[in-house]
Amino acid sequence: MQNSDANKQEQQVLELLRDYPAPAADADFYERALVRATHEGSKRQRNRWMLTGFGAAVAATVAAWMIGGLLLNEPQLPEAGAAIPGVTIALAEPRTVNLVFASATTLDSATLTVTLPDGIELDGFPGQREITWETSLSEGRNLLPLTLVAVTPTGGELLAHLEHEERDRTFRLRVEVG
Amino acid sequence: MGAPNDSIAFERLVRPHLDRLHRLAWRLAGSKAEAEDLFQELLIRAYQKLDDLVEIEEPGSWLSRVMYNLFIDERRRFARRRVHLVEEGQLAGEGLQGLAGSDSPVADSERLEQIRHLDAALAQLSDDHRIVVLLHDTEGYKLAEIEELTGIPVGTVKSRLHRARARLREILVADGTIS
Repeated sequence: MQNSDANKQEQQVLELLRDYPAPAADADFYERALVRATHEGSKRQRNRWMLTGFGAAVAATVAAWMIGGLLLNEPQLPEAGAAIPGVTIALAEPRTVNLVFASATTLDSATLTVTLPDGIELDGFPGQREITWETSLSEGRNLLPLTLVAVTPTGGELLAHLEHEERDRTFRLRVEVG
Repeated sequence: MGAPNDSIAFERLVRPHLDRLHRLAWRLAGSKAEAEDLFQELLIRAYQKLDDLVEIEEPGSWLSRVMYNLFIDERRRFARRRVHLVEEGQLAGEGLQGLAGSDSPVADSERLEQIRHLDAALAQLSDDHRIVVLLHDTEGYKLAEIEELTGIPVGTVKSRLHRARARLREILVADGTIS
């Protein structure tokens, strides 16, 4: 094929691509999408916590903390030490770990912030180091499943910071990549 | 989250970017139903991150990146459904709406036929090639903008663009759309 033919054909392809339409949104689509986003977004945050017992846990339960009275009386758990629970995950392989919080009372409108170490990501939140949910805890055991992905082999310490009214506590989970 | 003030703040932040995001959803997903799903899912996730969104200097770029990542993360789901919808004729070129019109119904009709062939040709490309060629040659994104959006180095974008155009030319010559 001659170069002039190829150039002409490439120009024709480019013209077609330039004209390739993207239809406008249907009437009211944006309005409906915005309304649904606010409703569904709020609902998902409320439902982020799955209130189940230990028996329902299908993934590895790696960390359990008592909240209840401790939350009311102690501002922080002890710093990193032998008592810190840990989990080992494989590089680039998503693994669900369950954080279990046992609360002595119902806690409405609590805020949970998960802070990830470098090289560990939460599935569905690529590149984010910190993810925050508003949630409520029921009396009893509350299970929070987190699907972790190691993008580098470094590992580190995951922090789960729980705030309720003017009280807060930070929980730690050691994540190793093996 | 969920208070009326949050809804107002959210709408104020995202509304200026809705048209561009809607077009991007079309280019990524390739069909109406999937584009709308992708667009909707982006808004839901953006609302969940409203506290972050208000702090972001260029929310349009951020929203575009989140949409792209969302598409890539759920590529299998979107790809599977796209194949199904091609059969139902719901790709972009299936209507004259949005096509730059002329005064000649015959010319429009011929152009529509060419666009249909382009639809079919694009459907034969990989997602990686299809997305790059549509962003660059249809939407007018610069190479650096594609790199920022997708995280793919400019050199790779150029290479994919070249291969995508060559493949489209090959398909469209073979089916007689261009000569």
